[in-house]
Amino acid sequence: MREETIERIRGIQAEVRRLRQASDNPAIERTMQLLDLYCHMARWELGDVEAMIPEAETR
Amino acid sequence: MQLYKPEVEAQRFWNPYTQTMPRAELDPLHLRKLQTVIAYAYARSPMYRKLLDRHKVRPEQIRTLDDFVKRLPFIDKKEILDAQAVNPPFGDALAISEDFFHQRFATSGSTGTPLHIPLTYHSAELWGESWVYGFWAAGLRARHSFYFAFNWGIFAAFWSAYMGVRRLGATVISGGGLDSKARLRQIEQYRPDVILATPTYALYLGETARELGMDLAKTSISHVFVAGEPGASIPATRRAIEELWGAKCYELYGIAELGPTNPGCPLQGGVHLCEEWYHALVVDESGHPVPYGEVGEHIVTSYIQDGQPLIKYRTHDLVRWTDVPCGCGTTWLYYPGGVLGRTDQMIIVKGVNVYPSALEALLHRVAGLSEHYELHVGRDALNDFVTVKVEARGEIDENRYASVGREAEAVFKSAVGVSIGVEVQKPGSLPRYELKAKRFFDHRPAAHRWQLSGGPGA
Repeated sequence: MREETIERIRGIQAEVRRLRQASDNPAIERTMQLLDLYCHMARWELGDVEAMIPEAETR
Repeated sequence: MQLYKPEVEAQRFWNPYTQTMPRAELDPLHLRKLQTVIAYAYARSPMYRKLLDRHKVRPEQIRTLDDFVKRLPFIDKKEILDAQAVNPPFGDALAISEDFFHQRFATSGSTGTPLHIPLTYHSAELWGESWVYGFWAAGLRARHSFYFAFNWGIFAAFWSAYMGVRRLGATVISGGGLDSKARLRQIEQYRPDVILATPTYALYLGETARELGMDLAKTSISHVFVAGEPGASIPATRRAIEELWGAKCYELYGIAELGPTNPGCPLQGGVHLCEEWYHALVVDESGHPVPYGEVGEHIVTSYIQDGQPLIKYRTHDLVRWTDVPCGCGTTWLYYPGGVLGRTDQMIIVKGVNVYPSALEALLHRVAGLSEHYELHVGRDALNDFVTVKVEARGEIDENRYASVGREAEAVFKSAVGVSIGVEVQKPGSLPRYELKAKRFFDHRPAAHRWQLSGGPGA
């Protein structure tokens, strides 16, 4: 269950980052950045530790 | 419609995954988090790069928890202040662009220069989350409302609790900008479930309520959450707050620059280390970790502070750590009694360690004494000596002060084993405080106070 949840969050996070990168709308970019952050937090909470902040994760 | 699904809301733990993780799994997870934080700090904070270079250690050399304990230096508030002074306000301590700043805090600077504390959105969320472990364990959920009896200034104080209430999804009611009487009227009007305050202020509101002819036990408050100074882990203080408010009293232990490190145990006898977001050591004066069950200085590493990392940070707080399984079910380290004192409040009278929190607990055993007291510590040729100045309760006649004082001295002698002087004073003679009370007055020469030196990382 935990592994599956982590995998699904990683997938969502990758899509969110693509949307953030593609956006030319400040409101959408900020919202996608926060979604990226919440995915990062959820992964830490499940012990999936890659970097301290999302911006420092391998992209 | 509910914010949490019923089966989730019924859970005992906010994050069962880490809160019930066996130590054999928790420690490797800590190592991964520590390595991540150390690499981050070394790459981004000039202060940490210089510090590690000076100690000839590189992040990739921290391969075990033992490496972390033995190879990395401690860091103290003075080093952060020095790094901030390079280019104020944050200077060399900073590890992230100001674009990411969410809020700035500062310490009061009452003992010198204020320490500046940058918080990003990420770290603010996680400061909040540390509170939620305590809120959730105490049975508080999204439907509850929280009254903040404090003024929202630059000092971190209860800001992190506000972030916690938001993270939980519950309701914030602000008592900012009001005096105590107006706050009590607001509590009658808005009927919050929880009040957040320092223990001193939670008790002080009782005096104000008496002036208003109001009975706090009949208000809507069912939970009192205290922080900022020892309180709910001291049984007598907790009982006094619970009787006054007719409510359960819980605490959280935190440090302004680190955040809320230790949510209170729901069984109320102490606090747990929030091992999701913090790592801790408890060390003796030589810097070596003390065995579980022993008292030492609390050394904390934060996984939260991405703006200004804090690794093996000296808190100067004295705690007793233990790995004994707690009845509440969590596997996180437990500190019975919470914070026992400060390293600069370490008192040794004729070879006996005397903890300020223990003296506070004993004072409550003496009928006729109030919760308002001060500890004055001096030094003669060989020993520390302590005098407790304490206010009598209003109903005690002044000609009984001397006998009540002698009774308190007998309680101290019997429980602690050494002589502690007691001076009983009139009600209202000692100052009152809204945030932290100043209770400890040290008149000893500096050479007779705790000094962490030598040992690992020094």
